[in-house]
Amino acid sequence: MSGGAASPVAVRYSAVGAPLAALAATALFVVGAVAPIYAASEFTLRIGNQGLLLGMLALSVAFLMNQAGLVALGAASVYGGAGYLFAIGINNWDLSATQALLAAFVILVVYAAALGALIIRTNPLAFMMLTLAAGEMISHSVMLEGLRDYTSGADGLVVAFKGSILGLQAADFANPVHFWPLAWTATWISGLTIRAVRRSRLGAVLRAVRQNEERMRFSGFDTYAPRLMGFVLINAVAAVAGLLHVLNAGFVSPDSLGLSLSTNALVSALIGGVASAAGPIVGGLIFAFAQDEFGAYGVTQLLTGVAIVVFIVLFSKGVVGGLTSAARHLRRPSDPKGGAR
Amino acid sequence: MIALLVANSLALASLLIMLSSGLALIYGLRDVINFGHGALYMLGAYLGYSLTLVGGFWLALLIAPILLALLGVALEYLVLRPLQARSHIEVALVTLGLGIILGQILIFVYGGEARSIDAPAGLSGSVVVFGLSYPVYRIFLIAMGLGSCAGLALWLRYTTSGLHVRAVSQDPSVARMMGINADRLSLLVTVLSAGFAGVAGVLAGPYLSVDPGMDVTMIVDCLIIVVIGGTGSIGGAIVAALLFGFVQVAGSVFLPDLAALAPYVLLMAVLLITPRGIGRGRAPA
Repeated sequence: MSGGAASPVAVRYSAVGAPLAALAATALFVVGAVAPIYAASEFTLRIGNQGLLLGMLALSVAFLMNQAGLVALGAASVYGGAGYLFAIGINNWDLSATQALLAAFVILVVYAAALGALIIRTNPLAFMMLTLAAGEMISHSVMLEGLRDYTSGADGLVVAFKGSILGLQAADFANPVHFWPLAWTATWISGLTIRAVRRSRLGAVLRAVRQNEERMRFSGFDTYAPRLMGFVLINAVAAVAGLLHVLNAGFVSPDSLGLSLSTNALVSALIGGVASAAGPIVGGLIFAFAQDEFGAYGVTQLLTGVAIVVFIVLFSKGVVGGLTSAARHLRRPSDPKGGAR
Repeated sequence: MIALLVANSLALASLLIMLSSGLALIYGLRDVINFGHGALYMLGAYLGYSLTLVGGFWLALLIAPILLALLGVALEYLVLRPLQARSHIEVALVTLGLGIILGQILIFVYGGEARSIDAPAGLSGSVVVFGLSYPVYRIFLIAMGLGSCAGLALWLRYTTSGLHVRAVSQDPSVARMMGINADRLSLLVTVLSAGFAGVAGVLAGPYLSVDPGMDVTMIVDCLIIVVIGGTGSIGGAIVAALLFGFVQVAGSVFLPDLAALAPYVLLMAVLLITPRGIGRGRAPA
């Protein structure tokens, strides 16, 4: 699971390759932020933006799945919830755009901490069921008759903010050309953060708890707080993605909260592979473009189901995971660990 | 008023019991939660709809569960058994994917609009019970629910296969050491579980509506019930289904604006008080 540190050979490779890799990553970041603006059409960029945001959501699902063995099926509720809270902050609470962003983020982190405190203690299957239930609860809350003044029920909310956020106006966020570098940067920041957490002590403890929770408790580790921190972290990432989405779309509807978006994020994570930070983001982009390709036939949902089954049963490493191990295999064909799992 | 409330919650709980005890049974044997159970129920309902048009309600109530049970055989041989070595989470995700596929196929075949099934001639209308006028169909529903409850309890308590199911649910490895064939039991349980989903689907037709969202609604309700009942505990699931039905019905009577949230409030409350649920489910391996 832990990438390159499998053998002394790999360590030597990464010792030589580390500065090179950092250089390559920096180059990829700069080129990726600028090139598409000139090379791609506005329409392609629009889908690319959706793909990046879906990728961030997938990243959060994948992190908890890979590190803690927990599958969160309610990712979209925080993603869409962020949009709703931002809209309500502007429309009903008379906050400025920046204040509304912060308020939405803080409320969601508190919500995630409270929900996590309640459900993280249960076993992984129950966790999966409970996140699904919590997501549905949020979906139902938005449709409540009593909250209609705030959420407009099934119609969704138009969000028009005045002023600027980080020097960008509402029109800039809505423009796919201006939005792309922002989404690209946010994706990189979340990816690198997740990668850093993976390699930190928290990541190590989470993986150990996933292997054997009881033994970790006997060894004197707190197994509760790390999992709670992991849960809050992924929800923070999901909230950021959701806030970017509402800024970009200028609109939030029950669709952005629902179970189908949560499963889309799960599928993106599975397509790209959950074991790396790049995988889910690549998966999100693949999903967004595939959805654009097949969406017209109304078979997106069907393909989502097929993709879950196919990628779990046949390609459990995902695209990025599969390519990584294939590359490793080519470099060191004698290493038995390079090939199949 | 109270009697009506209790009767209505019993009617709802009857459906929930059939579905959530099916979930709990499979969990007990395989440690897997079948996230596709809602789709099986939906298939049962749509099959019930078609068969009712062809040969009437009673035929549907007979044939649809048999077809679902056959699908259960396929589920056991093509999904659960080949994936036995995989982690339980992965198998659960596969059932989620299969459920989505099945649901989408049904929507493709039957279209997006809601359908309704009329109660058969003998069960339409109302009767007066204890000075209260009550729809006959709901009484039938309650009888079916309580009947299947009793059947399940008798089977688990007094038959050899029931004993074996209880043994495996309690401790799979010890049960295997004592010579119990868990694979054969699993086939039996999966077939029963799918068949019950078919019964529930057909029964739901005249009571609720048959619509494309019914699978998700039902699986979420059942998952809540299974968690409240203590994952894998069949008795717990039955009690939780009764509790859930009551909360749902009472919520829609007393707090109609917030009724949609009542199940979740119940769930959170139970988890706060007893995180493992109210029944004595087995601790996960």
